[in-house]
Amino acid sequence: MLQFLFKRLLQAAIVMLIISLLSFSIKDKLGDPLREMTGMSVSTAEREMLRKKMGLNDPFLVQYGRFVKKALHGDLGTSYFHKLPTMTVILKKLPATLELTFAATLIIIFTSIPLGVMAAIKPNHWFSKLIMAFSIIGISIPVFVTALALIYVFSVKLGWMPSFGRGETVHLFGYWDTNFLSKDGIMHIIMPAIALSSIMVPLFIRLVRAEMLEELSSEYVKFARAKGLSRTKVYFKHALKNTMLPVITVGGVQIGIMVAYTILTESVFQWPGMGFMFLEAVNRSDIPLIVAYIMFVGFLFVLVNTLVDLLYGIINPTVNLLGKGQ
Amino acid sequence: MSLLRIDHLNIEFPNRYGTKLAVNDVSLSIEPGEILGLVGESGAGKSTIGNGIVQLLSQPGRVSGGDVYLNGELISDFDDEAIRKVRGSRIGFIFQDPMTSLNPLFTVEDQLIETIQNCLGLSAEKAKQRAIELLEKVGIADPEIRIKQYPHQFSGGMRQRVVIAIALAGEPELIIADEPTTALDVSVQDQILQLIKDLCINMNVGCMLVTHDMGVIANVTDRVAVLYRGRLVEIGSTKQVLTAPKHEYTKSLISAVPIVSKRLDRFPLVEYIEAEEKGLKHIDVSTHWIGQIKKHNTTGDLLTIKYLNLSFITRDAFFKKNRRSIQATKNVTFTIKEGESFGLVGESGSGKSTIARMVAGLQQPDSGSIIFDGTELINNPDRDAVAEAHLQIQMIFQNPYSSLNSRMKINDIIAEPILFHGLAKKSDVSGIVGDLLDHVGLGRKTGLKYPHEFSGGQRQRISIARALACRPRLLICDEPTSALDVSVQAQILNLLKDLQDELGLTMLFISHDLPVIRQMCDRIAIMKKGEVLELAENKEFFEHPQNPYTRELLELMPRFEQYGQ
Amino acid sequence: MRKQLGFIGKVSAAILLGSLMSMSTLSAKTLKLAYDADPVTLDIHEQLSGGILQLAHMSFDPLVRWTKDFKFEPRLAESWERVNDTTVRFKLRKGVKFHSGNPLTPADFKWTFDRLKQSPDFKGIFSNFTDLNIVDDNTIELVTDGPYPLVMHTATYIFPMDSKFYTGKDESGKDKSVIVKNGASFASTHLSGTGPFKVTSREQGVKVVFERFKDYWDKDSKGNVDKIIMTPIKDNQTRVAALLSGDVDFIAPVAPNEFGQVESNDKVNLVTMPGTRIITFQMNQERRKEFKDPKVRQAIVNAINNPGIVKKIMRGFATAAGQMSPKGYLGYNEALVPRFDLAKAKKLMSESGYPDGFSVTMMAPNNRYVNDEKIAQAVAAMLSKINIKVDLKTMPKAQYWPEFDKRAADIMMIGWHSDTEDSANFYEFLAMTPNKETGKGAYNSGNYSNKFVDETTMKANKETDPKKRAAMLQAVEKQMYDDAAFVPLHWQNLAWAARKGVNIEPVVNALNFPYLGDLVIE
Repeated sequence: MLQFLFKRLLQAAIVMLIISLLSFSIKDKLGDPLREMTGMSVSTAEREMLRKKMGLNDPFLVQYGRFVKKALHGDLGTSYFHKLPTMTVILKKLPATLELTFAATLIIIFTSIPLGVMAAIKPNHWFSKLIMAFSIIGISIPVFVTALALIYVFSVKLGWMPSFGRGETVHLFGYWDTNFLSKDGIMHIIMPAIALSSIMVPLFIRLVRAEMLEELSSEYVKFARAKGLSRTKVYFKHALKNTMLPVITVGGVQIGIMVAYTILTESVFQWPGMGFMFLEAVNRSDIPLIVAYIMFVGFLFVLVNTLVDLLYGIINPTVNLLGKGQ
Repeated sequence: MSLLRIDHLNIEFPNRYGTKLAVNDVSLSIEPGEILGLVGESGAGKSTIGNGIVQLLSQPGRVSGGDVYLNGELISDFDDEAIRKVRGSRIGFIFQDPMTSLNPLFTVEDQLIETIQNCLGLSAEKAKQRAIELLEKVGIADPEIRIKQYPHQFSGGMRQRVVIAIALAGEPELIIADEPTTALDVSVQDQILQLIKDLCINMNVGCMLVTHDMGVIANVTDRVAVLYRGRLVEIGSTKQVLTAPKHEYTKSLISAVPIVSKRLDRFPLVEYIEAEEKGLKHIDVSTHWIGQIKKHNTTGDLLTIKYLNLSFITRDAFFKKNRRSIQATKNVTFTIKEGESFGLVGESGSGKSTIARMVAGLQQPDSGSIIFDGTELINNPDRDAVAEAHLQIQMIFQNPYSSLNSRMKINDIIAEPILFHGLAKKSDVSGIVGDLLDHVGLGRKTGLKYPHEFSGGQRQRISIARALACRPRLLICDEPTSALDVSVQAQILNLLKDLQDELGLTMLFISHDLPVIRQMCDRIAIMKKGEVLELAENKEFFEHPQNPYTRELLELMPRFEQYGQ
Repeated sequence: MRKQLGFIGKVSAAILLGSLMSMSTLSAKTLKLAYDADPVTLDIHEQLSGGILQLAHMSFDPLVRWTKDFKFEPRLAESWERVNDTTVRFKLRKGVKFHSGNPLTPADFKWTFDRLKQSPDFKGIFSNFTDLNIVDDNTIELVTDGPYPLVMHTATYIFPMDSKFYTGKDESGKDKSVIVKNGASFASTHLSGTGPFKVTSREQGVKVVFERFKDYWDKDSKGNVDKIIMTPIKDNQTRVAALLSGDVDFIAPVAPNEFGQVESNDKVNLVTMPGTRIITFQMNQERRKEFKDPKVRQAIVNAINNPGIVKKIMRGFATAAGQMSPKGYLGYNEALVPRFDLAKAKKLMSESGYPDGFSVTMMAPNNRYVNDEKIAQAVAAMLSKINIKVDLKTMPKAQYWPEFDKRAADIMMIGWHSDTEDSANFYEFLAMTPNKETGKGAYNSGNYSNKFVDETTMKANKETDPKKRAAMLQAVEKQMYDDAAFVPLHWQNLAWAARKGVNIEPVVNALNFPYLGDLVIE
């Protein structure tokens, strides 16, 4: 177990080092931060002086070396725009994004599993065909279109839902303000979460259906039926748990990808999370924040994969991550 | 009144081209305490009958006619819910592969208790009590502990015991065992068959034993029903059917079964089944390209293996002392002479396939030496020589389904090694490929098809043709027929024998099937846990085995010829 | 299943009820405001940008401020008079207090002036100013290095800061007054001004909350807003949706594409006004010898149908331009009108020896100005009519400015807003001969150079008589017009929208910082 975690930690460190090197090497293509920090009429000489002061004229390796040295001391730079350490900024935005992702994940779980199972066990039912048709259409509608349509219908036309932002949040601890403990907060998270999940739900419906179909044709399902178990028990106890194994593996990766999709969703809904922060950072050439964000997301990917592997190990007894027994 | 009576059963599978009658007017019956063997080759409809009885046919199959009575009760008319109550409670099922018939994510306890509660409606506590008793009954030691474990923590045989325990959990009147031992090693197979036999007698339960293995039929059944293409061609007492078969098909089938007692030159052809080799052109190998193998430094010994060691790490750890490994081969040493057929037998996990892979260069040993025709293959700096040697060593795998690239035409599959190694002129290749296809009995026209269009036996012929395309001197056959039906097996084995005679091929023949080894090999080595226990001439090996393990295996092997032929 | 549907019904009913309740509890005196961005800092000297000036007008007060019709309105200066060619004297308002409670003194003006001279962004504007003298407790003087016509213009930038509040060391031992561009400072996170609103909370990029300053000096103001919640909403459509759904009361800017939605809704008002930002293309005479020929430049200007662009692409949300100075500026020359004339353009091309045209490269940003990408595409298409083939590249502004600095294309787009609200500023940055030392012509990517333009602009900057000065500036415009120095397109309009009852009309202006202190909500 310790060895597994140690390996993953090492993996994360390598991933982050590579990402930082890559993002550092393209940073000059991301625009000139001085342009964002000064007004239009500030003279070139003045800008050049600031650039020098900030060390942006140093050779690449000097800048990167400085960055790595600081990073080893836990300092990933200071955001030009937020004027705070980038990690502070990211951690501040993290809860909003995680809550949004979590809400979207809940939606995905509670829609795609029942619908996918339904489509698998009753493939010829009209509702199953409707689900599959919907999933094909749904998979091809971009997130921001869904998001804007939701806003137009439920906020502008019907006036039921708030159109942007997190609304009223309740403070939990540290940076963590939650949407889930106030009615206003929940109201605000519903539409962004639906929009974010909209691209994943059809995908997961298809995945669950495909895996379920595969499980249904397996020997142990046939054996379970030969034992005289009811269909419900065969489907929902035996087949479903096995279906969940690949779904979890794929799901873990997809949740990581979803963090990337938050960029779109968050900017449409003005959701104050990391995705929106990143988009703004790109717009403002806030290079330290861009680099730190990409590194953080890389770390997040490794973390999510690790958690997924642990979860997989808990569900699947044949995987022995914890190194016990044998 | 019979326990089970089937009257004029028809089962059909509609498809878009029409309707396929999988079971055609089959009638039979089983008495309490009796074991009825249902034998036939793949596609004969034997499993379909078993599934049809309890309405577990896979889509879109359906019973289209006939009646099934269980203790006089017409169960073929039952609706979903009624038949569900028959399953498990009155008819228990045992499937072929214990690896897949248990759900890997639930403990044995979970899977046993749900069955007991479902069939008998006992309380959780009583059900557990009963579950432990059942495990004990099927011969699982420490049932209190083992019941908490997951299927993967059991060996194959133990798992099949668990499956049997589950089949018995509902206290059924009839057990349908569908190839219950096919996936198991010989020694385990014997135990399981004995277990089923004992249970039937002791509990007065009827059993329908579906199998393709005549040895199994001979060993445990009281009566036997022979199926051919959905029809019941013969039914009678086991002794009568095996010793005095009436139907031509039964006769062919029996003649195709390899026997242990004596070695034959060729398997009698299964004429009834297939008129194979319909006048295909046999090439004269002595003049043909295939026969023109580069002359070699023949020393008598083509392959010499010395002190071959390999271990697999089963548990990796940072510190060496925490690592766990198993020794796949331990100081394996033997020699294969030019032109001989060398057999390697052993149960699964004995290391025989590992040796094949090392000889073929697919796996590197930890230590030891493999010398092919004077060339050291292990850690030899002369890579060209090693590559040259490996080209002369070709392998045929067990599973003809997965060893052919499904996206390539047969012609291309066979031509690939010739072109890749530049063995013949480009303009000659298509002719050579055609000749090869003719020679292995497929015909050159088949070269335009894709692998999925062929049956298992035909695919194995393709594999052989592909191996021959390299003009090998050593052919490694790793369980080449264990996925095939008896009649097809006979054909393939005959083909291999013919090729060996014509081309002077040397063969390393790997199998767990002792009768096959008996028929095919000149000398035989038996392996257990990575070690060679005994190496002897064919006759010596089968008639005067020295090692106790060899003796044990030979004894446990289901002997088809116990009834004498 | 039926049971579940019942549950869903209950939940949606609860959601509906909840949203109704939250709507009814809206306080009438709270203004929910959504801009496309929030101020990047609380230090009003850190950056010269619209967002910061908006903040300055909310939490600070200038000496004087612009009215809608480009006149000066007394704020902290009650009156002013020119003492001599280089000195203007200001009488200060009495009894003004900072948010901290400190009284406003002439020393605060002096301190602020000195700080402005240090600020990289502002020192350019104050380069002609040598001193701010304290005459007495209620009087200060601004001194320039020579006769300077833009003293009052510049005075709109003097928002006195609370010198006592901003003096000393903060917790980490740093000087509180220091201006830091790439990091946090005391001044960028703390604020004490004399303005109508105090900042009570701020989360960068999420929201800023302002509360009305109880001791605000301007008791005559009818403004009745107690609290402002300012939220940045980057996305144009979301911002409009937020207004239409009642989540905010006031939004700016409103993109032309959204006008239809806003105008057709009877719960909200749209207010538009001609703006002062000019959008132009510059033709690089250094990169292309063809552009050295005034006839070719003329042909290009003639070929571009900028009234058509205003109509079709900007949907009327702009004023087609023939010059740099918008109406109301001293340099605005009524005679210089847009001159789309395709026949003439073709003729000019033939005359200059390019009847078959030539190929050029063009660059434009795609997220800086309203519809910038579409405009560039339209211009490229129009130029093809006179056989000039355009290889157009558009990119986000973050990448555009470095390209612009490199003069990376033959034709480049540039928009300009005059910080001083004066014509000379346009000429200094866009039209004067580029000069690294003086910094003139910093955005003249066309390398247009004309002695008359250079000299007259500099002369105008020393002319304090408005009449004479106007004549000079207008002459410069005429010269550039005749030379076809650049391609004028249009001045972008400004647009705001608010729910009915929020009377934004009186407080908005062409400078695009609504005087929210005077906003009345019914």
